[in-house]
Amino acid sequence: MPNADPYEHEVDVWMKQFAAIDDRSPRLPDANSLWVKAMLMQSTAAMERAARPLTQFQIAAYLIVAGGWAALVMWKWTALSAWINSFTPTHIILGAAGAQTAASLSMTFVMALIALASVTVMLAFHTILAEE
Amino acid sequence: MEVDQAMGIAASAVALQTPFALRAATNGRTPKKPMDEAKFEAFYRKTARPVWSYIFRMIGDATIADDLLQKTFFRFLRSNPPIVDEDHLRHYIFKTATNLVFDHFREIKRHREHRFETPAASSGHEDLRHDMMRAFAELKPQERALLWLAHVEGSSHEEIAEALGVKTKSVKVMLFRARKRLAGILTKHGLAPEPHHA
Repeated sequence: MPNADPYEHEVDVWMKQFAAIDDRSPRLPDANSLWVKAMLMQSTAAMERAARPLTQFQIAAYLIVAGGWAALVMWKWTALSAWINSFTPTHIILGAAGAQTAASLSMTFVMALIALASVTVMLAFHTILAEE
Repeated sequence: MEVDQAMGIAASAVALQTPFALRAATNGRTPKKPMDEAKFEAFYRKTARPVWSYIFRMIGDATIADDLLQKTFFRFLRSNPPIVDEDHLRHYIFKTATNLVFDHFREIKRHREHRFETPAASSGHEDLRHDMMRAFAELKPQERALLWLAHVEGSSHEEIAEALGVKTKSVKVMLFRARKRLAGILTKHGLAPEPHHA
């Protein structure tokens, strides 16, 4: 099949002239520095990829702990609000602030409170250490 | 020591990922081991200038061309192309540059701030370059890429199709239209080359 493009030769000649004409000297970066930068970028990306499951786990832990605290507060909300309201100057002077409420809280609640507080502290330490 | 470890992690992380498109692009040829620093340096020396020229002709701004050249090689290294042969790598780098150039055009279209920069002419030679750049800038970006890859880089229709993300069958028609448009522009500006008599 003969070449049916009448512009091919003309354009080819012009494009070759256009390509051959001098450019302003480009500031080509050094190959070594490009290589090192690329490797560092890749190692950062690899570390981010490796840390992604840990970050997801951390977010899940925050949500679970926050949910735990919300559930705990909701569970004994009446007793807790009564305990907070008992902090009046009179009760404090008499040394009886919250004594009644404290007596009404179950052992299970206290254990749950301690467990949740421990988990919160552990999570806080983990976050601080991971940041460092 | 830490840097060495980081490099080791990076190298192993890089070795794990070979993009599917690239595997397909090797057309059954057996990929050799990934590129090391010495091979990259040799490859860079050969290709950096032509890639810069291509980007510069496409965009018309030397500063942006500098920036996109770096990004092209970063992306090239990140994709860690296995060495099949030098031609394959060369086409792969031009494909990467083309993608970045089109990303750039999309970005500026979004902000509607683009104008093709043609440096002010100061001599006869500069005048000619200025006129040629202006004529080339009248083409659409895809036409510029098509013509450059076909006539300057000598890419095949398959390679052009892959670089531009179009069907191989369409390349012939697109090339014909682009040539026709450029010929018209050259005639309009009196830039058409002298007819060649054998």
